[in-house]
Amino acid sequence: MNDPRPGQRFSLDETHDEFPKQNIEITPELRFSPAAASQPLIDAPPPEVDSALDRALAHPRKRRWGLLTLLGGSLTLGAVQAVETFREAWLGSDWLAGAWSVLGFFAVGLAGAMLGRELFKLRRLRRHARLREAVEDQDGDTFALLDQLRKQMGLSDDDPHWQAFLKAHQQHHDDGETRTLFAHHVLAPRDARARQMITRMSGETAIMVAISPLTLLDMALMAWRNLRLVDRIAALYGLELGYASRLALFRAVLTNMAFAGASEIATEASMDLLSMNLAGKLSTRAGQGLGSGLLTARLGLRTLKMLRPLPFSESEAPRIGDLRRQLWQQLKQVDKDQPS
Amino acid sequence: MALTLPQNLNDLLERTLDRQVRLAVTGLSQAGKTAFLTSLVNQLRHAGLDARLDLLTPVREGRILGAQRINQPDLSIPRFPYDEGIAALSSAPPRWPEATRGISELRLSIRYRSRTRSRHLLGEQAQLTLDLIDYPGEWLLDLPLLKLDYLQWCERMAELMTERRKHYAAPFLDAVAVLDPTMDADEQQLAELAARYAGSLHKARNEGGYTYVQPGRFLLPGELAGAPVLQFFPLPDLGDADRERFAALPAQSIYKTLEARFEHYKRTVVGPFYRDYFRRFDRQIVLVDVLSALNAGPDVFGDLRLALSTLMQSFDYGRRSLVNRLFNPRIDRLAIAATKADHVTPEQHPRLLSLVEALLAEPIKDLRYADVPVRAFSLAAIRATEARTVAGNADQQQPVLKGTTQDGEDVLLFPGDVPEQLPDADFWQRQGFTFTSFRPAPFTASSALPHIRMDAALDWLLGDKLR
Repeated sequence: MNDPRPGQRFSLDETHDEFPKQNIEITPELRFSPAAASQPLIDAPPPEVDSALDRALAHPRKRRWGLLTLLGGSLTLGAVQAVETFREAWLGSDWLAGAWSVLGFFAVGLAGAMLGRELFKLRRLRRHARLREAVEDQDGDTFALLDQLRKQMGLSDDDPHWQAFLKAHQQHHDDGETRTLFAHHVLAPRDARARQMITRMSGETAIMVAISPLTLLDMALMAWRNLRLVDRIAALYGLELGYASRLALFRAVLTNMAFAGASEIATEASMDLLSMNLAGKLSTRAGQGLGSGLLTARLGLRTLKMLRPLPFSESEAPRIGDLRRQLWQQLKQVDKDQPS
Repeated sequence: MALTLPQNLNDLLERTLDRQVRLAVTGLSQAGKTAFLTSLVNQLRHAGLDARLDLLTPVREGRILGAQRINQPDLSIPRFPYDEGIAALSSAPPRWPEATRGISELRLSIRYRSRTRSRHLLGEQAQLTLDLIDYPGEWLLDLPLLKLDYLQWCERMAELMTERRKHYAAPFLDAVAVLDPTMDADEQQLAELAARYAGSLHKARNEGGYTYVQPGRFLLPGELAGAPVLQFFPLPDLGDADRERFAALPAQSIYKTLEARFEHYKRTVVGPFYRDYFRRFDRQIVLVDVLSALNAGPDVFGDLRLALSTLMQSFDYGRRSLVNRLFNPRIDRLAIAATKADHVTPEQHPRLLSLVEALLAEPIKDLRYADVPVRAFSLAAIRATEARTVAGNADQQQPVLKGTTQDGEDVLLFPGDVPEQLPDADFWQRQGFTFTSFRPAPFTASSALPHIRMDAALDWLLGDKLR
């Protein structure tokens, strides 16, 4: 091991090499005429910057071309085939085959109409989501957007709620104020009904599960009633769901519950568990019933939040806690009435 | 600051339950305080009936039962002249309520249905007592005097003397220039100079439109007219260097006499005014008449900005707790309102807002630091005009106002754009502003007053108390 080197002095006039310089190029000052055309420097990030993340998170949007081709193709071919068979039957005077082909043609037409309706309803659901986003982002004239929303909700021009909104709305109201008024006059009555419906249906689900004798039946009941709940809430906001759109919405609600709602569930979980434990003390069935009731309620609230044309403000958003007590009371009632 | 005890036991109880609110309606003269108060009482009286208060949440939810004027705690103060204001508005031709010449008080009891959980315990009907005070805006600018001594005040006044202001104050300035502050005081001479000073303040206020006019009692002396306490004035060209030189002067010298009167004015006029009315507020609304200031030009506009930011240092702001709600109330929420919003077309309101925010930028920063929520509103307590459109050029609908001017002429006009920021000097040279002022629309005494955004402002100020 070397000893540490002692200090060393150099005289200033001693010749020494320059410290090796790195190659740095420094641009000298540039002058432009103040009159020269220049554009403002835009340093805001391009708007797409977070969409990569969004795209990764959102489930891939795929058009089911294969399925559509299959369905469309078989419908077209079926129709052609039916017409062809009919022509041959006509020429050959084979009445039975002719009747069959007419029937076949009718069936193909029916299927086509159904497919068209499904696609149309899916599109309406998407349009609803788009409009909701536009209103939320204040994309354009708020009043015009709300008018469009009214049409989509299927309200006529002289609907009392809409009229009340028109009466309250004044020219000087800004976007936020206009939306507050719309939410109060047009949406609030529907929200209240939706909330009632959720309370009622979750209560009924809880009781049905509590008294049903078969687990398999429980599951079927839950699925059926939950789908029905989503359907009814959608109808309140003027959305008519077809088979495909119902599935799409239901799936979106479940995804939303699984991800966005997870934190909410985490905060509420202890309360839920406590109520279920308490109910479990009463009877195991009541505990199960309460669990399923709470699930239905949560699903309903989530659907409500997703479908409401304007998002809820912090204070007015319905909470699961408000429903829990009612559920619990309904169940206790059943337990009390039950002969032991 | 010393603790302020609530006036009686009942108040103490009410304040403990948070059922009493003192609302400071702050505004310089002509900012629309009296109109605001008249409209406020009127709207709350008619709440839930024919008043359009859709943006006030408890009214929208149908929970307000009504409001009533009740006896104020201090019986020696005149009652706010609400009925006189309504009478003026409903006369033919309609007039604006008279300018305030003295202090008046008003206590309003608002009854509403509570929605909180404690309602099962305390009863569903709840009551909120709202205390309001009206006072001449001229006196308000006396409050900053409390923090100054005579010499500082003289310096402050000298800073305010712009070219245009000197023009109004010429008779006073000429006379005071030859005065030697070290001489013995001559009562007659001082009285005459003080009268000239008061005259210059009147001119600056009425002809120039200036708002930073001190002391306020010189404009509206009330019962103090002619008393020696109002016979003082600022000496020009004083600096810190003079302080020691003057401190050694005998008591009968001019400087010492003026100083003594200034201190006396602070102690006996401003002090009680501040202590009795301005220290126990919970909420505040600052009314600013931006349009008149724009009409008067850049000089007055700068003056207004200075006056407002000086003024707002006189109030206590901050978060509240139970303890200081009882003994040391502070303003915990504030609204800033650009008044007379009915004098511009509706699409100009956002610009009006950003202008008033720019005007009050400095106080707003302080409020943010104190964590006091502030919101700006464009507001018309009593709407005088109706917004309409006419067909403009190129298929554009031109928004216009329909109303009657102060001279009684029916007009349909576009009053002009409101600038988003204070325009630069060039612009004032080129164009300037001329916003027309209107007389109130015809009104029958039994109905609710038309307004712009009173409901939103009330919701911000009182909404959380009416839950």
